Order: sequence, then structure tokens, then C-alpha cells
Amino acid sequence: MDNNGRPPWIARLSGSLERLRQSEDQLALVLSVVIGALVSLVVVAFILLTGRLAARMYPAGGAGWRRILVPTLGSLSTGYLLWRYFPFARGSGIPQTKYALFINDGRIRFRTVFGKFFCCSASLASGISLGREGPSVQVGAGIASVVGRSLGLEAKQVKALVPAACAAALAAAFNTPIAAVLFTLEEIMGDLHAEVLGSVVLSSATSWMVLHLVLGDEPLFHVAGYRLVHPVEFGVYAVLGVVGGLGSVCFVKLLLGIRARFMRLPKWTVWFQPAVGGLAVGLMGYFVPEVLGVGYNQVEKVLNGDIVLKLVVLLAVLKIVATAVCYGTGNAGGIFGPSLFIGSMMGAAVGGVAHALFPAHTAGPGAYALVGMGTAFAGIVRTPMTSVIMIFEMTRDYTIIVPLMISNMIAYFISLKLQKEPIYEALAQQDGVHLPTRHSRAEAERAQVRQAMRPPPAVLSPDQRVASALRQVEDGGFDAWPVVGAKELWGMIRTSELERAAAGGGSNKKIADILGHRPPAGHPTTEEFPHLHTDHSLSLALERMGASGLNVLPVVSRANLRQLMGIVALSDVLGVYGVARRGGDPERSE
Amino acid sequence: MAAPSPARSFLGTMGLVFLAIAAIFAADMFLARMERAESHVEAARLFRQGRDSMLRGENAEAIERIKGAISIERGNRDYLRTLAQAQLAAGKTADAESTLEELLQSDSTDGLASLIMGRVLVKEGRFAEAISYFHRAVYGQWDAAAAANRLRARFELIDLLAQRNSKEELLAELLPVQDRASRDLKTQIRLGRLYLLAGSPPRAAVVFRGILRDSPANADVYAGLGEAEFAQSNYRTAQRDFQTALRLAPDDQATRQSLDRCNELLMLDPALRGLSREEYFRRSRKLVELTLGEASQCAGRNPSPELQGLLDQAAKALKAPVSAGRQGEAAESNLDLAERLWQARRKECAAPPATDSPLALVLARIAQ
Repeated sequence: MDNNGRPPWIARLSGSLERLRQSEDQLALVLSVVIGALVSLVVVAFILLTGRLAARMYPAGGAGWRRILVPTLGSLSTGYLLWRYFPFARGSGIPQTKYALFINDGRIRFRTVFGKFFCCSASLASGISLGREGPSVQVGAGIASVVGRSLGLEAKQVKALVPAACAAALAAAFNTPIAAVLFTLEEIMGDLHAEVLGSVVLSSATSWMVLHLVLGDEPLFHVAGYRLVHPVEFGVYAVLGVVGGLGSVCFVKLLLGIRARFMRLPKWTVWFQPAVGGLAVGLMGYFVPEVLGVGYNQVEKVLNGDIVLKLVVLLAVLKIVATAVCYGTGNAGGIFGPSLFIGSMMGAAVGGVAHALFPAHTAGPGAYALVGMGTAFAGIVRTPMTSVIMIFEMTRDYTIIVPLMISNMIAYFISLKLQKEPIYEALAQQDGVHLPTRHSRAEAERAQVRQAMRPPPAVLSPDQRVASALRQVEDGGFDAWPVVGAKELWGMIRTSELERAAAGGGSNKKIADILGHRPPAGHPTTEEFPHLHTDHSLSLALERMGASGLNVLPVVSRANLRQLMGIVALSDVLGVYGVARRGGDPERSE
Repeated sequence: MAAPSPARSFLGTMGLVFLAIAAIFAADMFLARMERAESHVEAARLFRQGRDSMLRGENAEAIERIKGAISIERGNRDYLRTLAQAQLAAGKTADAESTLEELLQSDSTDGLASLIMGRVLVKEGRFAEAISYFHRAVYGQWDAAAAANRLRARFELIDLLAQRNSKEELLAELLPVQDRASRDLKTQIRLGRLYLLAGSPPRAAVVFRGILRDSPANADVYAGLGEAEFAQSNYRTAQRDFQTALRLAPDDQATRQSLDRCNELLMLDPALRGLSREEYFRRSRKLVELTLGEASQCAGRNPSPELQGLLDQAAKALKAPVSAGRQGEAAESNLDLAERLWQARRKECAAPPATDSPLALVLARIAQ
């Protein structure tokens, strides 16, 4: 027993955990694994439970009226629960996860996780035409948030756990560990080089392993091997890209339009708005049962070429309407699954027509359905890299990758052109939330040092006397000046250093004596030698100015740090952003 | 009450997390097992429906149902094989081929899949490949009743070879079957007939005689034995067998035709034992007359000088009076002339002579 009366093994375990808690990096890795396993198990439970519930609600050979009644009642009851108890569990889960990550320091309440899990499960089982993947992401993120806070982690540590959980959730929901990592970085974080990459990968891999342990090694869709039959098919895949892009834009605009209209309705109607979506999908499902639910069975049929052309066209249109109405009216569920459904139907339709026209030169409609899935995903969710990898992982079919890439990129650019805001950003804006977008980040990154750079107004020599230098830089307006000897940048000398030397009777001193060194060989660090390159972002320039305490930094060659290419002053940076300093730049105003 | 130390809280929370993992894992395993069990039942139900539809000849419906079963229980080879059979029955040979390819890719020794593939390829007219798959079925693995199924596969191959008239291959397949085939009457008669098709009448005769030991009053067996004896040029024995067969089954037109042919041949054959000199001569003239008719008919108006010479010679021989003392010598000369004329006719005429006509058979026998 130790001093606290604990058995020795508990004391040792406690000590180990305490040491782990102190080591931030190790803790992050261990928690990534733990969260990956936990989230995977919860998501598997979510999927299985939803499947069991759906089987009870729609028994084999059930009457047709069930298809109207069940989604209506399902959405009415879950709508009330969402309104009354779980207001943050509405919708897909992806925007809500981003709110938590970027606004609330990764904070998601347990109540929201609980509500999302059960309301979504009931809603999806009742036949609502939405997907399970977005909700899985929010449930996973919520679990990470709850666990992280319960462990007493700091806000930044909790924030770092959330993306790992998102990847784990998606890996379990789609059985696509690589796409899960990419989606988390591409969409959730908006940065493919995010620092959390290691945790995200680890968590996704753990989740995938746990998924296989429980459900075995089965891809989401089983697809016959497809290949490119003839080069002319690239043209058909390009057409599919166009159709997919236009279809995606229609879907996104319809969804946002319906949602905006329902958001304008009085607040007291919020609790039964989802029932409108339930009734609408029920009426469609009464005549065309394939519209109900996420419809992965139909997708698999179509992927295997088991289609009737008229039916797939009808299903593509009905699914667009059904999903838009279900989501727009505030039901809980995601748009990943419906995107794949819509895409596969559009692909099968294009492929069906192409195959009828050029049977000897085109593959069957199933190949186009496969590519169509990725195309719609790229057009709607706007994560082209993720969509390519995801389709590959879902089907484990490599041969179709090139057509998929072509089609995806066309759909992506059409969607980009015709629908300015990606769907999740547009949804956030409808909620009055302005998240950092990929576009805004790209804009920030686009402002580079080369745009603000200018030739040095004055260059001092290491052999120059202090008095002469002071005269040269008088009224220059900068804190520091480049010192260049024998075509080599020695460094920057501050005006204050020159003034201090002059005041101390060192007017005749050489600048080299003040600098106290010659240009050192090797690779000085940024701290030792503050500098910039032409392709650095202006935000980095500001950071380095702040760190060095200088309002001007030298711009040097990447090949030779001692080769001065120009300077960047704080006023130049502000000028690029359209913020002129009062009084202007003394050098430029002259 | 003092707040718990951070370390204890950390330890406790981690403990709870691991407890939750264990509990959810157990729940997941339970749900997954339940799901698998229910899926299995549902798949079996759909499969049963599909098989019933197939038995009723509703193949499109059968395909739908079985596909439904397969989408639930993907790796089930029984379902896939039955789907292929339904697709074949529905005439969707390309679909059936694709289904079977999937099966055979995962297990190339699957006997039933190979057999169905053989049938699919026969339907597509790809006989060489079909034969290869039938062989794979014969030597492949079977889930149950392997010997019986292999024999069934071999008989399907034998039937195909018989249809294709591939006599050597047919005989090669028949030989191993003889000892393993069922001893029932139908199978044995089939075997005897197949030996006849394979060009092995002695084996056919052995089989038919073997049957007669157990079923001495079977018309089909006598008819078969008659064919076997006839093929071995034992025309008198064949005549007896055909007559017996007709006694047992007087309405059998095929046997009657065989008997007529046999009788015709026996009336024509100059090599039969015990013929008088006059009869021998008469038959030799008949042969010249029939050969001349055949050759003249097929040669048309412009026969080659060689054939024309023989035709003239034959016509002259038929007209020439022969004294009783020279009938033997003249008969030999006639037979020689008939044989030469027959050879010339075979060389010059585009249409080959019917090889199983009494005339052709008699001339072939004389040539031997």
C-alpha cells in the first residue's frame, strides 16, 4: 500500500498515467488510438442499430401505407426531440463539428452526442432520405470532446482530438480509412498539412481495425471489375463530369433554397418542420420505394449494371428533391450517402445512354455509376481528392481511377463556377456562422512577399563609419538597414544601435565593429538571422517582424541566404492589404 | 469535500473510457451476430423463393430473388451457382458466364461451377472451351455425391462429343465410364448406343449382350445388338437380331428400316457363303448395274475419258451374254469392274456416295 492506501499496482499505473499526462505528444498519440477505437465502436453500433430499427419499421412484405406513415411519424417525433432537447443535433453534423472546432474550442456537449445518436438512428431508420456519415462524424467529434474534457485536457488538446475522432468516425462509417484522413484534413481542417496529421492517421487506422474486428472485411459496395473499353470513353466520362457538376449545383441550390425558406418560418413551427420532409419523402416512397432511406442497396445494384434507364433517371431526380426537402426541413442526417446515391444514378443514366449508342466502345452503365458517385461527391461536397480516394477504397477497384479523376475535376470546376459557396460553408452562413473557409485561407496564402517587396532604399557597408551611416539613414523611417559587404548580406543593423554607438562616442566606429561578426558560414536560423523569401506569405512576414521587433526585413534568395533581393517594410505589407498608414511611408512619399 | 486530484480524475476517466470500450464492443458483437443471423435467414428465404421460381420456369423472377439473397450473403457459392443456372435458363449466357467466372476465380476446382460453365459455353457455341470446362467438372471438387456428379458431368461431355461426332474423344470418355456407370437398363442401352457412335461396334455388342443376360426380351437391346453386328459386317446375325427386335416391338419403324437395309444388303452381297454360281453371277451383274446407275447419274453429260471408258465397259458387260460355264469367271470380272467404276465415281463426282447404303457397304467389303 502507498501513502494514499492504494495497492502498489494502482500506484504504479497512476504514476505512469500521470507521466503520460505530462507528456503532451505521447498523450496525443495514446488518445488518438483510444478515441479511434471508441468512436469506431460507437459508429458501428449506430449503423447496426439503425439497420435493426429499419428492419423492424419496414418488415418484408409490409403494407404500402407504412412507407408514408413511418417517415412522417419518425420525422415528427425526432423533430420534436431535436427542438426540445437536442437543438445542436439537427442537420448533417459536419458544419456543427466545424463550429465546435473553430468557435467553441472543440467543445461538444454529451447531450448533443446522445441526441444525435438516437434521433439520427430513429430518423434514418424511418426512411428519411439522408445519410449516416455526417452524423457519425459529429457523434465521433462529440465523444472526443467529452472524453478530452473529462480527462482534464486543455482546450487546444481537446481541439486536436476532434479531427482525429472525425477521421475515425468516417473510417468506420464508410470503411474508407485513407479517404477519412483526407476528408478530415481537406474539409474539416481545411489544411492538408495540418499539424494533427499524425493523430488523424493513427485514429483512422485504429478505427478501421476495430471495424474489421467487429464486421469483417467487406467493402461498402461490391463492384464487378470495370476497365476502360476504348479511349473514346474519356469523352463520355467528361460528359458525365458535366452532368454530375450541373446535377450537384441543382441539388445544392435546391437544398439551400428550401432550407432558407423554412428558416424564415416562425420559430414555433420548428419542431414540426421535419415532418414536412418526412411526409414528402413518404409520398415519394409510396410510389417509388427506392427513394426511402440512404439507398445503398440500390447503389450496389446500379454499380453492378442492374438497371432500367428510366428508373435511374427518375431516382436521380427524386433523390435530389427528397434529400433537399428532408435536410431543408431540419431532419437529422447527412448528405454524403445521398450524394453517392444521386451520383450513381446520374452516372448510370449517362452510361446507359452511351452504352446504347456505342455498345462496342463503352463499358456498361455500372462503370459510369461508379465514376458518377465520385463525381457527385466532388461537385456537392467539393473535396475532389477525397472523392477519388473514397471511391477507390469503397470499391477497391483501381482501374477506373483515371476516368474518375477527369470526371471529378470537371464536376468540381462546374460546381465552383455555378455555386460560389461550398455546401457546408453556405449552410454555416445560413446559420449566421462565418467559418474560416478554404477560399479565405487560399486568399491569405496568395498574398506573398514578392507583392510587397521593394529594392533597399539604402544599403550600408560594413566598413562604413557610424556617423556616415546615420547621415545616410536619416529620416529613412525604418528600424533597421541592410548591411552588405562584398555582395554579401551581413545582416540588419538597427538605427537605435547606430544612435547608441554615436552617443557613446563611437561615431568613427565601423559598422562591422558594432555587428561584431562577419557573415557566418552554414545555415543561420530565422532567430539568428531574421529574413524572408519572395514566396513567403505576408502573414508570415508579419509574424517574423513581430518576433524580431523590426518593421523591415530583408528578402533573400532561397539558394543563397546572403544574397539580398530587396526588403519588405511593415507599411508595404499594410499597403498590399489596402491599409495605408497615416502619414504614409516616408520613403515612398518623398 | 476535497476535489479529486487531477491524476486520480485522469485515471478514473481513462478507466471509464476502457470500460465503455469493452461494453460497446460487447454490444456491437451482439448486434453484429444478430444482424448476421437475421441476414442469413432473409437470404435463405429469398434463395428458396428464387429456386421455386426457377422450377416454375419463371427465370427472371428467380434471378431477382437469388440476386437479393446474394446481396445479403455475398460469399455463398450455392447461391451464385444457382444464379448462374437461372441466368443460363433465362438465356442470359453472358451474365451467367460472368457469375461463374467470379466463382471459378476464387476456386478453380469447383466442379458444379465448371459444369454449368461448360453448359453456358455450349449454348454460346464455344465447344472447345466447353469441353475443357466439362473436363474440369469431371476432375473437380464436389460438395456432395462426388462420384455420381462426376459421372453426370462426364455423360454431359459424352453427349456433346457424340453431337460433335468426335469419335476418338468420345471413345476415350466412354472407356472409363463403362465400369462406373449404373447397371440399370437405360444407362446400359445408352452406353451401347454411344459405343456405336464412337465407332466401336465390338464394345457395343459386348454391352448389349451383357444386357441380354439380365433382360433377354428387350427390343431396344436386340435392335442395338443388330446395329453392332451390322457395323461389324455380320449381316446375317444382324438380320436375326433385327427380326427378334421387331418380334418384340413390331411397331418400331427404325428397326424395320434397319432390317430392310440389312435384307437389301444380304440380297446384294456376293461374298455370302453358300451362294450358287448362278446367284453369285446374278449378284455381280446387279452390282455392276447399280454402280453404273450411280456413276452415270453423278457424272452428268461430260464424264472424264477414264470414267467414260468404264461406263462403256460396264454397259457392254451388262449386255454381253454369258454361258453357264463362264459365269464364275464373268462374275469375278464384273466385281472387279464394279469396284473400279465405284472408285472412279468417288474420284470424279462432287457428291460423295452414301457410305451406309447397301451398295457402298457391299463394295467396301469386296474391296477388303
